[in-house]
Amino acid sequence: MASMQKRLQKELLALQKDPPPGVRVDEASVTKSLSTWQVDMDGAPGTLFEGEKFQLLFKFGPRYPFDSPQVVFTGPNIPVHPHVYSNGHICLSILTEDWSPALSVQSVCLSIISMLSSCKEKKRPPDNNFYVRTCSKNPKKTKWWYHDDSV
Amino acid sequence: MSADVTGDGAGAEGGGGADVDQGTYECNICLDTARDAVVSLCGHLFCWPCLHQWLETRPNRQLCPVCKAGISRDKVIPLYGRGGSQMDPRTKTPPRPQGQRPEPENNHGGWTFGDGGFQMSFGIGAFPFGFFASAFNFNDGRPGPAPPGTPQAEEERVLSTLFLWIALIFMFWLLMA
Repeated sequence: MASMQKRLQKELLALQKDPPPGVRVDEASVTKSLSTWQVDMDGAPGTLFEGEKFQLLFKFGPRYPFDSPQVVFTGPNIPVHPHVYSNGHICLSILTEDWSPALSVQSVCLSIISMLSSCKEKKRPPDNNFYVRTCSKNPKKTKWWYHDDSV
Repeated sequence: MSADVTGDGAGAEGGGGADVDQGTYECNICLDTARDAVVSLCGHLFCWPCLHQWLETRPNRQLCPVCKAGISRDKVIPLYGRGGSQMDPRTKTPPRPQGQRPEPENNHGGWTFGDGGFQMSFGIGAFPFGFFASAFNFNDGRPGPAPPGTPQAEEERVLSTLFLWIALIFMFWLLMA
């Protein structure tokens, strides 16, 4: 538990000091135990999401960084993307089975920006309605099936 | 990642160093200066306790957290700097893997059956195929045949004939039984 907070403290300071373009930690949202963060994100210029603003919600368990954080889109604007469900859940392999403790909030944010940026057509995943009706609140409980590496 | 973040002694030691060195000796997992440091064959630095915990987390899929190269307890090298902790790191759990002192390569001189690891195994699976496979695979991963004319070559020939006969007798016995 102590190691989780120490590492998150370091990540928070680094992200506040030198954030990647289009990424801001909402400092007011960071809870005292550092276990929940909200990150504001801008759609990258020159992509389908240019000019849009999104919020990501990170939840860290006590086993972070050995266990991946829960990451979902939250707030009024959920990006319309083939890997993002309308409830904010994201189908991205590094958030579950390809997680590594060398990844960080910053690298997850960059991966998500990159995923959005390579989108060619704004549409929801084909099984969106069914998934949103049946899924758990925790996206990590979903058995994701990663089949599309192109986006 | 700045030096003032680290509240512990390890970080304070690096405080006098130039900013260029920042992060160079940080563990890729806890982002702190690596303690009981080990380095993977792919060159990535970790605290041994951190890496050990990661290897325990996914015991059947042990990958380097940074580059996803294969990694394991036997494939990391401990780093010993001068000074540092006076305590023997091995008294801590989990113990850091030992440094290895591989024997220097020695190419000349003969070899014997003893250290060549001569093994035999018999299996009665899909007879007779399993039997052939286990009885005649003399050459996989083991030293090649001795040069002709040497006593070893002669010995090998005798043994190979002997085992062929044992195999034939065994097959005969199986057919009769």
